[in-house]
Amino acid sequence: MNVYINSTGRYLPGNPINNDEIEAVLGLINNKPSRLKNKILKSNGIKTRHYAINTEQQTVESNCNLAKKAALNCIEKSFLPSRKIKLLSTATSQGDMVLPGFSSMLQAELDIPEVEINTSHGICSSSMMALKYAFANIKAELSDNALVVASELASRLFKHSRYEAIEDDNIDFNAEFLRWMLSDGAGALLLENIPRPNTTSLKIEWIKSFSHADVYDTCMSLGKSKNDEVKTWQDYPTYAEAEKSGALLLRQDVRLLDNIVAVGVNGFLKLISTGDVDVDKIDHVLCHFSSHYFKGKIFEMLAQSGTFIPEEKWYTNLYERGNTGCASLFIMLDEFIKTRTLSSGATILCMVPESGRFNCAYMLLTVEK
Amino acid sequence: MEHYIQTELGKKCLQELLQVWLDFDRNLSKVPIVKRLETGRLSQQDYCHLLLNMRQQVIEGSRWISRSASSFDRNHSDVRSSVIHHAHEEHRDYLMLEKDYLAAGGKLADIQTAERNIGSEALHGYLMYSASKPNPVALIGAMWIIEGLGNKMSIRWAKLVKEHLQPSINITRFLEYHGKNDEDHLKELYQLIDRVASSKDNVASIIKTARVVGRLYCLQLEEVDNYE
Repeated sequence: MNVYINSTGRYLPGNPINNDEIEAVLGLINNKPSRLKNKILKSNGIKTRHYAINTEQQTVESNCNLAKKAALNCIEKSFLPSRKIKLLSTATSQGDMVLPGFSSMLQAELDIPEVEINTSHGICSSSMMALKYAFANIKAELSDNALVVASELASRLFKHSRYEAIEDDNIDFNAEFLRWMLSDGAGALLLENIPRPNTTSLKIEWIKSFSHADVYDTCMSLGKSKNDEVKTWQDYPTYAEAEKSGALLLRQDVRLLDNIVAVGVNGFLKLISTGDVDVDKIDHVLCHFSSHYFKGKIFEMLAQSGTFIPEEKWYTNLYERGNTGCASLFIMLDEFIKTRTLSSGATILCMVPESGRFNCAYMLLTVEK
Repeated sequence: MEHYIQTELGKKCLQELLQVWLDFDRNLSKVPIVKRLETGRLSQQDYCHLLLNMRQQVIEGSRWISRSASSFDRNHSDVRSSVIHHAHEEHRDYLMLEKDYLAAGGKLADIQTAERNIGSEALHGYLMYSASKPNPVALIGAMWIIEGLGNKMSIRWAKLVKEHLQPSINITRFLEYHGKNDEDHLKELYQLIDRVASSKDNVASIIKTARVVGRLYCLQLEEVDNYE
């Protein structure tokens, strides 16, 4: 049984926000402009992004709403009425509610009856896990189709008031880093077991991922204060105390971040050696990665070994649409196929390296027309 | 960028070597003393132990390279030249290591009389055995791993040791030294790979050797904590 992506959709809330406007939305921490902002923005290269909160830091649209709009955008252009959807598989790093799962909430919003649901929880690669669940489901002939939605509303974590709630005003670099990286948005893919005419059908050849949490410490996390070794947010007597100690700030341990390059390259080489990837036959690469990482010795080594895919084959919209966590790849794929003329048989390699605790997911697609 | 590796087999060999390196690098992160180093929990005593345990391997390092040079016949005289050059460059590195050991608070008599740990014994034994075989091209795999490790030491470990131990005098000369001639070494390695990866059998033996050396190197570092 083959599995095809027959429709895609995306939703980015509000107007694009440029680098000078970020603090007007997220707010100034203790009324002072950030000293780290420009440095971090320069290194990630992001120029514009979208937020679902307004300049008063009020939520304009919920995460579920973002997901709904991306899903509707996807369904509208498909051959399928939403009532016929058999499986709803979603991903987010944080739903609006802690419980129940995101898919339950989204199902209600989309009004799809008696659908099977799956919610994948994690960070950037969780959308690939949600997608794999759907892919495997159709592959095993358990469903004819599946709607996969990935959505993020990270900006709520970056309001100035979150940082001001910290006990001694001591905001570390690791806690501020992601404030200038992540933003909001949602993407959706519709999978079916047949290709459709007059549209771009992408056959999913395979989805594979390799996790390295057994080796590396946590690199991107929420739930622990910077000084606490053991205690996590629910171990505090009250949530207020957890917040005060900084256990509810989203952190990136930047010292560990470089490992993501080795992890990403290692998986890539593994897929070459197993025959899943033939570098000469890859036409396009979509990667949830800032290109400033593509410097350094390891990429020179890839080039020497004939496995570096030339830069002209790489596509990203990260710099204009922002880094939307698990939604990024779907948003990228949607814009890519809607703005490019793709020839039949063209191959697209997708890569999603997640720094959370070092999981890297890969997918190979073939264009069928 | 200049392409030093022209042959398809050479490229394939480098691909696999890269993979072996990345697997080794990951396994290394699981070795307790390396884990302590990388997570800021290395004590000064740990660092002294690390240097003491590495010294024997560093001394033997130039011996196996020299021995392998003598095992290349005249059809491999170009390889032999390159290997001799490599051995000559490194055969007195251990003196720098001893100075660091003293600077970090160790006693010269201790490091000079220390025995090889179990991992060093295995690594040394394997390398000397391999170096004694005729035309030991497989040892390019060993050079690859050890060169990569030198690079990691200079770029990452030296920085971490300085950051966490904050020594008042320089105790990381040995670790740092490896970064200095890196570009040239890498170019030489590329050229050697292109030269000797001339058959599938050669590539397979280079990869196997890189794997064995990686595993034994981890064993050597695992044994640092068992050393009394």
